[in-house]
Amino acid sequence: MSKKKMSPEEIVKYFKDEFKAKVKDSRVEKRVAGVKKKEFVNIWLKIDKSVFKDVIKHLCDIQFPHLAVVSGNDLGSTIELIYHFSLYYGERLNEVSLNISVELPKSNPVIETICDYIPGALTTEREKQEMLGVKIKGIPDSRRLFLPDDFPEGVYPWRKDETGPKDMVRNLHEVKK
Amino acid sequence: MKKKESVKTTTKTTYQIPIGPIHPALKEPVMFEFEIDGERIIDVDVSLGHVHRGIEWAGMQRNPVQILYLAERICGICSYSHPIAFARAVENACDIEVPERAEYLRVIHGELERICSHILWAGVAAHEIGFDTVLFLTWEMREKALDLTEYLTGNRVTKAIIMIGGVRRDITSDMVPKVQETLKYFKDNFEKLRHIFLDDKTVRLRSQGCGVLTYDDALKLCAIGPTTRASGVKKDVRVDQAYAAYGDLDIDYMTPDVLTGEVNGDVYDRIIVRLLEVKQSIDLIEQCLDKMPSGDILSEPKIPKLLARVKKTAGEGIGRHEAPRGEVIHYVKFDGENDNPYTWKARAPTYNNILPWIPMLKGEQIADIPIVAASTDPCISCTNRVTIVDNDKNSRYILNREELHRMSIEKTRRLMK
Amino acid sequence: MRFTMIPRVFMQMFKKPWTNKFPAKYQPSNTTKYLAEVSEGKAKINPPIETPPGFRGKIQYDREKCIGCQLCIKVCPSGAIEFKPDEKKIKIYVARCTFCSQCNDVCPVNCLSMSDEFLLADADLYSKDLIVE
Repeated sequence: MSKKKMSPEEIVKYFKDEFKAKVKDSRVEKRVAGVKKKEFVNIWLKIDKSVFKDVIKHLCDIQFPHLAVVSGNDLGSTIELIYHFSLYYGERLNEVSLNISVELPKSNPVIETICDYIPGALTTEREKQEMLGVKIKGIPDSRRLFLPDDFPEGVYPWRKDETGPKDMVRNLHEVKK
Repeated sequence: MKKKESVKTTTKTTYQIPIGPIHPALKEPVMFEFEIDGERIIDVDVSLGHVHRGIEWAGMQRNPVQILYLAERICGICSYSHPIAFARAVENACDIEVPERAEYLRVIHGELERICSHILWAGVAAHEIGFDTVLFLTWEMREKALDLTEYLTGNRVTKAIIMIGGVRRDITSDMVPKVQETLKYFKDNFEKLRHIFLDDKTVRLRSQGCGVLTYDDALKLCAIGPTTRASGVKKDVRVDQAYAAYGDLDIDYMTPDVLTGEVNGDVYDRIIVRLLEVKQSIDLIEQCLDKMPSGDILSEPKIPKLLARVKKTAGEGIGRHEAPRGEVIHYVKFDGENDNPYTWKARAPTYNNILPWIPMLKGEQIADIPIVAASTDPCISCTNRVTIVDNDKNSRYILNREELHRMSIEKTRRLMK
Repeated sequence: MRFTMIPRVFMQMFKKPWTNKFPAKYQPSNTTKYLAEVSEGKAKINPPIETPPGFRGKIQYDREKCIGCQLCIKVCPSGAIEFKPDEKKIKIYVARCTFCSQCNDVCPVNCLSMSDEFLLADADLYSKDLIVE
């Protein structure tokens, strides 16, 4: 459990040392802003599904992270979930954005919950369940969040394949002028 | 002497009654289900989704320039925050540079919107307590800010000033006197506002000790914005990350101990944080006007070239911004074949601030529901339709918005005696 | 200090109200009769507050300059512009316009501009006033 602040490259190295081959890809982006050219950092990590819960536990050891949101992508035969975290908030110009992406096969889209480490993840996990059809194991509350209760089962609005909402859309802009 | 034995259970015995989204008393629908014992709330359940408009799906059929205007209409009061977060996400994904003058202009418009939003909130909070005179007073001050916005951008609310790679309109040197005149008006009247809110005994009695959110709860539930800063957690995207011109400016976290020296996490602290932020915004706009560099305001003025560049790039990016209510984050992914994004995820700040309602409302009285819910400044308005389950009498009755409001005012009158 | 607002409320009784009374001081009991009186010159309408320069009101279109490049159609967020292929000119439906003025910025020959007209309410969405061509 290291309490001193790590640089972005050290953070990537920390995860790579722990999980070796399960960290599939990593990228550190630095951009500058303003006249004084202060920089801000985005880290993108791609990890394997099997070590996901361990990665989150290690992340909580660095500092309790701030989970912004989970976004989802439909990539054809897999679903990709991207968890947007941020670390080292609380001090001026120290924050690092860390984006961890996990791929799930469409035949078995199951992932574990992180609500036991981060209780604030409940809202965003419920949204992924109804919008993408991902099953989250161990979620405390699995009701629908945004979609109405009479929305048909098996239709997932964010997917681009046959389970998408294509038939349910009414294109108002094509109404005769 | 009869001893009354009451068995308190915490299992929910409610079932869904469709008190639907379309109702004459509703403004923006959120449904709560409370479980109460007498006047105390024991448990809360929130259900959302009645205003789900399918905006992300509509966005995926449009090109980035069109999505800017779609994003503006996600919310009326944070109508600047969503386009700027989206523009930053696209600039991050496609590696588009923003000129320095444009970054300072973005900061000025963002802080002006923050002033408008916090003053509006101050009026709404006073209205929930029952102080309608203060509502009209603060909204009169807000008119001056809206006049300035109309002068600078062309419209009072939907500013349409952001473009990917910069801003659309400049603040020329003949516009600067009007900006400074409005800032002077705010500085003169800020003391009046502070005096009404923070020194008045009624406001203190209603709000101190009410709706407490502890430091641990705020951290664990990932709360954002003034709600979490009032509990002592130091989270502010402007101070934490260097984006736009915030890296150059003198800015710090606004927590209640800046003014009073202690942190309680109740409604009174949230009022303090928002008023301090108004003062901070006035100061930031002045710093920007002093330090603004010259140069052009758009890195790519020709739109067809910009769209062609977006079409060729394949990549993903995130953009964050500190809206008046908290952190806004947008994620966008392009696939390199067409200029419509492959995925767009927009997350408004109130999304994260819903879970903190549960620990804040447990243990409070029913008449406190409007002020506690309004103190987090939800962008899906405060509770409108509330179903109450009364454990003792075993009955359910429904309180609508007018009755809740009336009960809140009656409590104020009781406290004033 | 409990009653901080009382001095202010007292002062308000002597000050002129800040609201601009557009169009009339009190709501007329019969609106159509009031409008008929205005057109005859018997009653007056208070003007609204002046709009600043650069206000984004109803769109104005200069037919002569238009070259038919269709760039404005590509950037309109609401699909309010229609192309007329036989004349190579456009037709704008103000009822769908969001007044963003993005088409003004994109046009290579500057044939579109925004006026300061904002009193555009109409019962018929496709009436003559709301179509610009």
